[in-house]
Amino acid sequence: MDKKSAASGEKKLSCEDVSKCFQLLESILDGEHTANSKEVIDEKLAKCAPCFQHYHLEQAIREVLKTKCTKQSTPAELVANIREKIQELK
Amino acid sequence: MSEVQRKKYSDQEKNNIFDNEFMPHIDSMYNFAYRLTFDEDDAKDLVQDTYLKAYRFINSFEQGTNAKAWLFRILKNSFINDYRKKSKQPAKVDYQDVETYYNSEDVDYSITTDLRVDAVKDMIGDEISNALNSLAVDFRTVIILCDLEGFTYEEMAKILDIPIGTVRSRLHRARNLLKDKLRSYAQNMGYKTDEDE
Repeated sequence: MDKKSAASGEKKLSCEDVSKCFQLLESILDGEHTANSKEVIDEKLAKCAPCFQHYHLEQAIREVLKTKCTKQSTPAELVANIREKIQELK
Repeated sequence: MSEVQRKKYSDQEKNNIFDNEFMPHIDSMYNFAYRLTFDEDDAKDLVQDTYLKAYRFINSFEQGTNAKAWLFRILKNSFINDYRKKSKQPAKVDYQDVETYYNSEDVDYSITTDLRVDAVKDMIGDEISNALNSLAVDFRTVIILCDLEGFTYEEMAKILDIPIGTVRSRLHRARNLLKDKLRSYAQNMGYKTDEDE
């Protein structure tokens, strides 16, 4: 056994219930399952190659989205403009 | 916005709510507005309109509830009602089309793209942002709300006025479309994907 396959253990190469598993993994990543989500993830990722890949890809995309797409800087004058308009409303 | 006004806030209370619960979300609001409109001036107008409406209807905001979700809902409604009508750029996908074709809760989770984690992590330029911006507005919106702003499915359902099941399926489709886009970028960057093999 080479190093790579030893590291990945004895994972299944296909997932019998891709639809259910991926849906579950995605909602865990979205913070929707809190109960025993860590156990579910540990078990699935240890045993199933497609689940492992899907989980890590989804996780990577979420991380990159969060770091690359939230940097839009708010124009400095916006807050002052809003406060000015609110004063007019009062 | 609820029609029922629970109580009337004093001027002092209004100012407190506005400063301490509404204003801290200005950066998220601007980011959302900019990603909806792709125009700095339109985004500023949209955010300003939203805050003015929030102030005007402040009595229908219940203190202790999620101010950010409340504000996002006003911004989303303002965008649909006011901005979209006068938009220079027509929406790529009509809202009705999306409702008809994409709201089925029966989503095929087996459709996956062979996109590699390292390819995604190597996207250090504007690829992700461009891919997100290329999505039709309804798909773009769910990704912004979920992945950038961290809203729960339940909060998203309230912001968008759609059932939770629709949130889940729309989000999944949005992510698949995003992955398709990223895969084509990855191919251009020289990563091998299944399509080459």
